[in-house]
Amino acid sequence: MDIDDILASVDRNDVSTPESAALDHQLLTRFWVAERGVSELLPWPEALMNRMMERVRKQIETIEDLAASSSDPTTTNNSNNNPTLNLKLSILQTDLSRTQYLLRSILRQRISKLTKNSMHYLLRVSSAASSQPSQQHPDSQNNSDQQPEDSIPDLTAVTDPSPLSSQELDFLRAHQTLLAGHFGASFLGSFPAQLRRLDDNAGGVSMVQGPDPREVVFVRCLVESVGVVVPPGDGVEVETVGTEMRMGDVWVVRWEGVRGAWERGEVEVL
Amino acid sequence: MAFPLPRGITPPEISFLAEMEMVTILPRQRLEGLELLGGPVEPLLPPRRASLPLWLALLLKRQRRANILPPTWLHPESLSLILEIETQHHEYQHAFSPPPPLPGQPSLRDRGQRPVAVPRYTPDGGRYYPAPPFLPQNVAQDHVPSGEPPSLPFHWLEVGTMLLDAASDDLVDPDQTRRLLKELREVRTAKIRSGVDVLDVASTGGGGVALTGVGAMEVGEGRGFIAGVVDGLRKIGASKEQARREQMAEDMANGGYDATQDDDDDMEF
Repeated sequence: MDIDDILASVDRNDVSTPESAALDHQLLTRFWVAERGVSELLPWPEALMNRMMERVRKQIETIEDLAASSSDPTTTNNSNNNPTLNLKLSILQTDLSRTQYLLRSILRQRISKLTKNSMHYLLRVSSAASSQPSQQHPDSQNNSDQQPEDSIPDLTAVTDPSPLSSQELDFLRAHQTLLAGHFGASFLGSFPAQLRRLDDNAGGVSMVQGPDPREVVFVRCLVESVGVVVPPGDGVEVETVGTEMRMGDVWVVRWEGVRGAWERGEVEVL
Repeated sequence: MAFPLPRGITPPEISFLAEMEMVTILPRQRLEGLELLGGPVEPLLPPRRASLPLWLALLLKRQRRANILPPTWLHPESLSLILEIETQHHEYQHAFSPPPPLPGQPSLRDRGQRPVAVPRYTPDGGRYYPAPPFLPQNVAQDHVPSGEPPSLPFHWLEVGTMLLDAASDDLVDPDQTRRLLKELREVRTAKIRSGVDVLDVASTGGGGVALTGVGAMEVGEGRGFIAGVVDGLRKIGASKEQARREQMAEDMANGGYDATQDDDDDMEF
């Protein structure tokens, strides 16, 4: 057992201390900046979000208790204490609003990414759940009752909705069902049946668009050195490493080149 | 229409982030310690100094409950030294002056030493390396280690502007400070503009452009333009890159490819 592991287990033990609140706040802030800066949806930080929601709930209770005690007529005898109490309340409320703003901004940004590339994420989640995704619609080409809704994949077998949260998956399915129904009613219904799908890949070109992992991001290197990787593709089967970033450096690089390092916490998105 | 803002944090959001920087205050009244969602706040006992997040320091300052001690780098002397490095120093003619070191990174004096990043651990077991705005880069220091040149922190423009705005009576020479900040900003903006030529490197796979020492607001200003240019260049050069990759695959199949010969010239600007 490494000394790092021992330290890690000590750090991990208690999540109710003020120090862990500070750490979670820093993690949430960093995740917010990353989610805002990257074109694709980042994996949902389930444990962090649960801890934050729990803290927000407790903080609201604390504030309500304080506010109740300040307006309580039976305790007005210590009125010289009131100015500090009001100051304390306003500080606590400002702090709460700042955290709520972060949470709201993260959720809204994620919903915006989801609705922009809804079919992409639906297909990604459903293909991760079933090993043979291609056989979902065996006779889709000759089915004369083809409706746009039929292109929404079956999500009943999905156990792990990553990178989405389960609420986001529910939202996405409902959103896409409504959208497909609307498209069908407004114009796709008058098309020939074989042209009504929303995930057509006739001619080898898929009509489902996803985020571009090659878009650039601004990152800061936080460890001794991080290489910018070029993922396999275009005939090259292995991952190659390009430029090397050193500690403290700020770089403009492709997101696909630093995604792995970001997941390990070695770079941060700016 | 769930979210109208563009990709990448916008200037108001960068200011929001800068308000999380820790600053030193001199409280004028007592206040017990608070447990905020952003972390614990130490009790305020005048005349003892305390470190608070900037948003809280500004809140207390506006109500005349505290004075803010300006960070060391915001003194006119430090600023003019940094300005001299930015303009006169040959080494930084096309690059920004070096940023303050991260924890574990050797300071500028002993540049030969190897950096050692020391992680903290998250409750989920992941590694976490602290970075601005959660480093004490804006607290007031009583004694500056000799031989250490001052450096601009990541959120220099936002913190500087906010302190000039709300706490100018606490600064040493607000007019001079304002003038120096403006000059620094102009010099550095010119550097960003002149660096457009090297953006081509960032549009190839595995390549990138270094902007070390850049400020948060400067990233925010340049983001739209830089990202747009790089993505445009990438689309124009897509077929060229594909051909290069195929050539590389062929060379690898023939067994003679050395990955280090990839053109990864790290030009800085």
